[in-house]
Amino acid sequence: MKKFALVPVLAALAAVATLAGFSTAQAQTTTYTLDPTHTFVTWEALHFGTSTSRGRFDKKEGKIEIDRAAKTGKIDITIDMASINTGVAPFDNHLKGKDFFDVTTHPTARFQASGFSFDGTKVSAVQGTLTMLGKMQPVELKASRFNCYDNPFFKREVCGGDFETTIQRSLWGSTYGLPGIPDNIRLVVQVEAIKQ
Amino acid sequence: MKMPPMLPLVICGLLCTSAVRAQPLQYVLDPDRSWVHFEVLHFNTSTIRGRIGPVNGLVLLDAAAGSGDVRLAVRTGSVSTGLGFFDARLRQDDLLASEAFPEAYFVATRFTFSQGRVATLRGEFTWRGVSLPLELTALRYACRLDDSAALRAEVCGGDFEGEVLRSEYGASFGLPLVGNRVRLLVQVEGRRPIAGSQVKTP
Repeated sequence: MKKFALVPVLAALAAVATLAGFSTAQAQTTTYTLDPTHTFVTWEALHFGTSTSRGRFDKKEGKIEIDRAAKTGKIDITIDMASINTGVAPFDNHLKGKDFFDVTTHPTARFQASGFSFDGTKVSAVQGTLTMLGKMQPVELKASRFNCYDNPFFKREVCGGDFETTIQRSLWGSTYGLPGIPDNIRLVVQVEAIKQ
Repeated sequence: MKMPPMLPLVICGLLCTSAVRAQPLQYVLDPDRSWVHFEVLHFNTSTIRGRIGPVNGLVLLDAAAGSGDVRLAVRTGSVSTGLGFFDARLRQDDLLASEAFPEAYFVATRFTFSQGRVATLRGEFTWRGVSLPLELTALRYACRLDDSAALRAEVCGGDFEGEVLRSEYGASFGLPLVGNRVRLLVQVEGRRPIAGSQVKTP
């Protein structure tokens, strides 16, 4: 029976998604609530020009609206910066401290977007702003894949994809360790969201 | 005048750099910088990522001879995706099988070098008790002198990439909705301690 342990969890998530869902019911716009089990931001930073260190933000929430007929949309995602996770506790603590994300002063980062590019019916890029360390800067996420499907667990449509971008952390005032710790940070984003 | 025959050898012993020595150098993996990230496609829509590690092991390299030997192990129960219940599901018998087979291994002795740098390594990956050939390709590779630690060390490492078909190892849950191809992104840095007197400050 343990094979099906995932199903109740997914059903509970679907129920939460249902409760959260009835705020938007406009003509063409479909609202999707993030599936936190398939939505992650992973970052990649080159370490001394040798190897790539990776980390992840584990807690996030948000909402996506898409009108595939009008080719418009809206995204609002908030990331809990204290949920950073590299697998190395001292590294996590350093990243949470004043040298990097200063999570006591800036506990969240927020990505808001209303610029959507489509390739046919598929989202190909999203233009918005990333607010981090109290500074707002433009960011464009490019889709390396995008798809919608009927999810058998939620019994709902799920849309999602893989997105990526490279940001210069100095634009948000993050300058510790430059240039040994590089300015360019690659963000790799998995996202799936459940139709409401 | 005759030169004592031993003298050139003595001079070489004092002065010759490691590159000239016909002897492999041993590196111990740095657990802070040695991790496996995996990627699997979910419903042909988005990429599930997870981390396993740190990777433990030893690497012997002889760049001059173009040879090497790597023996690595990783505890699959260390899997971390950011979701506790998902990690627990992954550890079960039809996926990582972490209880029956706590460790996965990679052993490789077939190295290729390009301009003195490790380019590919071919060996055998053992997971869930199944051993199959696996090639890892270096996306980047570099060595540096680490002067920051109490013990000076030469650090060599890079990013390596490989791919396994999980069905070949018997990890079949969720096929085909969750992809069969598992992309492995391996960060690795190995350290070789160097006594201070043997190294010139760059």
